[in-house]
Amino acid sequence: MDDHQTRDLVEELVHRLLSAGAGGARDEAGALKFAHRLLSSRLAPAVVPDEHALAEAIKRRLAASGRPDDALAFADLHSKLSVRSRPASLWPLLYLLDSLSSNRSAAAAASCLPYLPTAAPPRTTAATTGTGGRPGSRAPPGGVVLVSKDPDNIREIALREYTEQVLEETEVSEAALVRDVLYACQGIDGRYVRYDKAGDAYDLPDGVRVPRSTRTLVRKLCEIGWLFRKVRGFISDNISRSPSDAATEVGTVAQAFCSALQNELSDYYKLLAVLESHSLNPVPAPGSDSVVSGNYLSLRRLAVWLAEPAVRMRLMAVLVDGCRGLRGGAMAGAIHGHAQHGDPMFQEFMGRLLRRVCSPLFEMVRSWVLEGELDDVFAEFFIVGQPVKAESLWREGYLIQSDMLPAFISPVLAQRILRTGKSINFLRVCCDDNGWADAAAEAAAHVGTTTSRGGLGYGKIDALEALVVEAAKRIHRHLMDVIHKRYRFKDHCLAIKRYLLLGQGDFVQYLMDVVGPELSEPANRISSFHLAGLLETAIRASDAQYDDRDILDRIRVKMMEHGDGDRGWDVFSLEYDARVPLDTVFTASVMKMYLKVFNFLWKLKRVDHSLTGVWKTMKPSCIVSSPFYKEGTNIRTQFVSVLRKCQVLFNEMNHFVTNFQYYIMFEVLEVSWARFSDEMDAAKDLDDLLMAHDKYLTSILEKSLLGERSQGILRNLFALFDIILQFRSHADRWFERIYELQLRGKGKSKSKEADCGRRRSSCNLQARDHHKAKEWSSSGQVLALVPFMEAELPAALMKVGVFVLVQALVYLILAQSSTVFSRTKSLGLRPARSLSARRMLALLSDLPPGGEPSPVAATTTRSSSLVLAHPKED
Amino acid sequence: MPREIITIQVGQCGNQIGMEFWKQLCLEHGIGKDGLLEDFATQGGDRKDVFFYQADDQHYIPRALLMDLEPRVINGIQNSEYRNLYNHENIFLSEHGGGAGNNWASGYHQGEQVVDDIMDMVDREADGSDSLEGFVLCHSIAGGTGSGMGSYLLETLNDRYNKKLVQTYSVFPNQMETSDVVVQPYNSLLTLKRLTLNADCVVVLDNTALNRIAVERLHLSNPTFAQTNSLVSTVMSASTTTLRYPGYMNNDLVGLLASLIPTPRCHFLMTGYTPLTVERQVNMIRKTTVLDVMRRLLQTKNIMVSSYARTKEASHAKYISILNIIQGDVDPTQVHESLQRIRERKLVNFIDWAPASIQDNDLSEFDESREIIESLVDEYKACESPDYIKWGMEDSGEANVAAALDSKLVV
Repeated sequence: MDDHQTRDLVEELVHRLLSAGAGGARDEAGALKFAHRLLSSRLAPAVVPDEHALAEAIKRRLAASGRPDDALAFADLHSKLSVRSRPASLWPLLYLLDSLSSNRSAAAAASCLPYLPTAAPPRTTAATTGTGGRPGSRAPPGGVVLVSKDPDNIREIALREYTEQVLEETEVSEAALVRDVLYACQGIDGRYVRYDKAGDAYDLPDGVRVPRSTRTLVRKLCEIGWLFRKVRGFISDNISRSPSDAATEVGTVAQAFCSALQNELSDYYKLLAVLESHSLNPVPAPGSDSVVSGNYLSLRRLAVWLAEPAVRMRLMAVLVDGCRGLRGGAMAGAIHGHAQHGDPMFQEFMGRLLRRVCSPLFEMVRSWVLEGELDDVFAEFFIVGQPVKAESLWREGYLIQSDMLPAFISPVLAQRILRTGKSINFLRVCCDDNGWADAAAEAAAHVGTTTSRGGLGYGKIDALEALVVEAAKRIHRHLMDVIHKRYRFKDHCLAIKRYLLLGQGDFVQYLMDVVGPELSEPANRISSFHLAGLLETAIRASDAQYDDRDILDRIRVKMMEHGDGDRGWDVFSLEYDARVPLDTVFTASVMKMYLKVFNFLWKLKRVDHSLTGVWKTMKPSCIVSSPFYKEGTNIRTQFVSVLRKCQVLFNEMNHFVTNFQYYIMFEVLEVSWARFSDEMDAAKDLDDLLMAHDKYLTSILEKSLLGERSQGILRNLFALFDIILQFRSHADRWFERIYELQLRGKGKSKSKEADCGRRRSSCNLQARDHHKAKEWSSSGQVLALVPFMEAELPAALMKVGVFVLVQALVYLILAQSSTVFSRTKSLGLRPARSLSARRMLALLSDLPPGGEPSPVAATTTRSSSLVLAHPKED
Repeated sequence: MPREIITIQVGQCGNQIGMEFWKQLCLEHGIGKDGLLEDFATQGGDRKDVFFYQADDQHYIPRALLMDLEPRVINGIQNSEYRNLYNHENIFLSEHGGGAGNNWASGYHQGEQVVDDIMDMVDREADGSDSLEGFVLCHSIAGGTGSGMGSYLLETLNDRYNKKLVQTYSVFPNQMETSDVVVQPYNSLLTLKRLTLNADCVVVLDNTALNRIAVERLHLSNPTFAQTNSLVSTVMSASTTTLRYPGYMNNDLVGLLASLIPTPRCHFLMTGYTPLTVERQVNMIRKTTVLDVMRRLLQTKNIMVSSYARTKEASHAKYISILNIIQGDVDPTQVHESLQRIRERKLVNFIDWAPASIQDNDLSEFDESREIIESLVDEYKACESPDYIKWGMEDSGEANVAAALDSKLVV
């Protein structure tokens, strides 16, 4: 009813207005229609229905235009009116009046009519449409006529022309293209947009007629489809393979990567779904005026929508490209390489991705560090285990694969991770120990991560480092504890020092005593069982018996490979059986080095031993009280001079050997041991320990002249040793004969002495001795000795001469090879060296060269003739 | 096979220092007064069997023979708290108990009389050891029993056990004081001959020097015999540490002496010891370094022989060889450095005619640091025994050796 009334009223109004002018009936009908349209429009004016504000505005305008009286009058009228009428009904009225008045002034129309002139309605329409900002609307035929009638509406005309042109060029509607693009974005061929295999891109076929700009746009938009295709291809490659038997090919990291990618893709799918729903809204044709102006999709809108996903998709595609063919840590590393980016969006995206990707990796690190498990089915971890024997587990069992090491884990940290897990495995496999679990749990608790999946993840390298450091600290401490306490590493080292490096003097001495005769046999006639028995005897007899049985049981006799002509001395050695886990330290090669040192020291000891043996035969009480002092002067002179030479030589040799031994003891063994022992206490993990031990052994080897550089010296040294041994055998024989002689002499004098003893008081013993001496010299016993001396001495002295020569050589070499000795600072050798060398040379000059008859021998011969003459004289 | 050493104590002085020696050994090895091992000493590490053997039960018995011609000192031992330590079969007392009356000849003669009994004991002890290394004889050379009977013993031992070493610790008389024993020089002279001919190594302990050390170093105004004897026992035990605590080197007497005694006649060793303490005497506290010890050992005032080796007028005196035994917690690197220093400063004069050496041996079992220096041995040109055969074959170098002992040997 209301409508009816309104229509009537409008008709009335139009009629009135038009009839006032010169308009026809057609105008009137058109105007009426237009008015209806205006009224039926849902457009609301962009004003607030505020009566008061409006009234104020009017007042102000009146006042501003210089009519304050009118303003007052208006205020008066308005108040009166508002008192009488309902407040709501007043605002439309006021608004109308205000619009009219202002319209009139704005249009600058000459006529000041309160009512609209004939041309006013279209103008008002145009103004309304202008303020509404509608670029183009689908006008009813009448409207078009109306517009075309408007002479200065050029923009409208251009727009219309453009629309026509577009419609003309476009074979395919934009909506269809949008839909196709959306398909393409999902990797599906649309009706027009298809995947072009040759160009490896989505494109509109050439046959489809679209504007060039549209074509470009479509191409651009379809890039995302191409990228998507790539990413999805990668994912499906990896995922589809995993359930099949080729599952081993896809690592957990790759799986995590795929799943992360899929996550990202699902966001993308959501976006596509939204876009698709938008695309159902019809695309308004250009220039037309759409009633449903909301969520339609044009290609350009699509470009805006897809800009950000495209960046992301591009990134994913790059990652996918980068990761192709990589696995595990390497893959994580490759992805990490792309994460260094200034764009926060990038960073955030990569962070999210990497957290997912790295989680299996971190899980591996965690289980490795805390449990020593290497659950790495796909060989993705940067630590690889190798099946080795227990003894080389530590050295070779586990390695770092540097190409699997992601860049965000520094090599130092990786090394630490490796050691920690290695320690655990070492404890588990070699030490058969479970205490590490407590240590690991403690470490985990300390860092605050639970032993289950903890707070480790990409970007929390600090946390990882803290965990690793903490775990390493505790596990290494535990390992050191186990090695030191349970396996008594130090005790074993000490045992090796005592038995293999001959630190336990009485044991070595006794062993030398009992084994000595055995070892003089040819090597192939010696039974090592027998030697083992002798070893046991030596242990029992010496202070070693108090040592731990466990340690003693590990000492074995070892016969080295021997060739023809080798004596037992050459092949005998001791070895120490370091069992698991200590054979990690004392590996076969290490034991070989110990063996080398042992052989050297054993030889040295043997030389020393035989030298003291010589001294024993020529010890003061034997020599001094020996009766040949009571011989005739000449003979005695000969004896004494030979004896003196012998003693001086002995002294030289002994001095050399003793000083060398002191050097070995103080400069080599003890010093190295002291350092090693310090380092052993300071060692934090097994690697430190190994290093300290290696250093210890190397320093012993180097300093005891067994190293590479001192081969020449060593050769000479061995030559010297041989000569000393020869000297021993000569001296032994010589003294043996002398004592034989003595004994015979004594036997004679004994009977004499017996009856002398009773008769004489103790005061005139001298006389008896005199008597004895006379008797002795007259007995002619010397005759037996002299031929022997003649035969034996030159040979012996020649040998000795060679000895002196060689020793002088050695001293010279030592003097020149300052590199060895300036560092090792040989004890006692240096200051004595020049002196000794001089003495040696002096002695040497006394002695005959090579084959010449020795002057000593000559005098001996001479003296022998004298001796022969002597008894006759007597 | 512990390389046993049998100790023979002859005469009053010999038995006194011997007793102190055994006390010291018992302390070091943790053997109680009755020969039973203390609890703390059971884990080994030392070689008790060099000087002790075990009886059928767990008792440790010294390889010691106690001999005297008068019963006073030995009775004293038998009444002391250590009476259960010794094997009573090993004690020899002369039947009449009259002693030798400070007469060498009397002692020698009486020794000759009882030689069978004595040698029985020696043989028994020697049989009881697997590998006898030698004998150690403790005696004085001034008295009657120690010098006379000791001399006879030396000759007999050398005759019967001439493959074994004989080492003596001989106390030389106090030359500064006029002794109440007028025949002291004669006794000394006669004994010295046997020491020269029949012993392998003589460690000279000089009563003068011992007294001087007691007075000067220990600040005792009137040193008693017990105190000087404890000095001797300290030296004796210290010089045998390398035999009792095996190390890398010098584990037997032969090895020890071989490098100390290069020529047979020069076998007289002098000893020094630092820092010195006497039982129950509180020493002042000081830090002892290796260099300190080595340097102090080279000082005359620490040497237990009144030698002129380091005095100005005898500056030509030289060392033949030196052995330092440093006990305690010693840093091996220090030893070498100290030696270098000593060489640099030329603190030691060595003989020219042969390479001579300082040698060190280091035993780190004890906290206390001690040491021994050894050796200035000379020829006895002044020894004018009628049967002393002159020989003219001396190396010219040997003339350089200081004749430190000469002065008091001149009769």
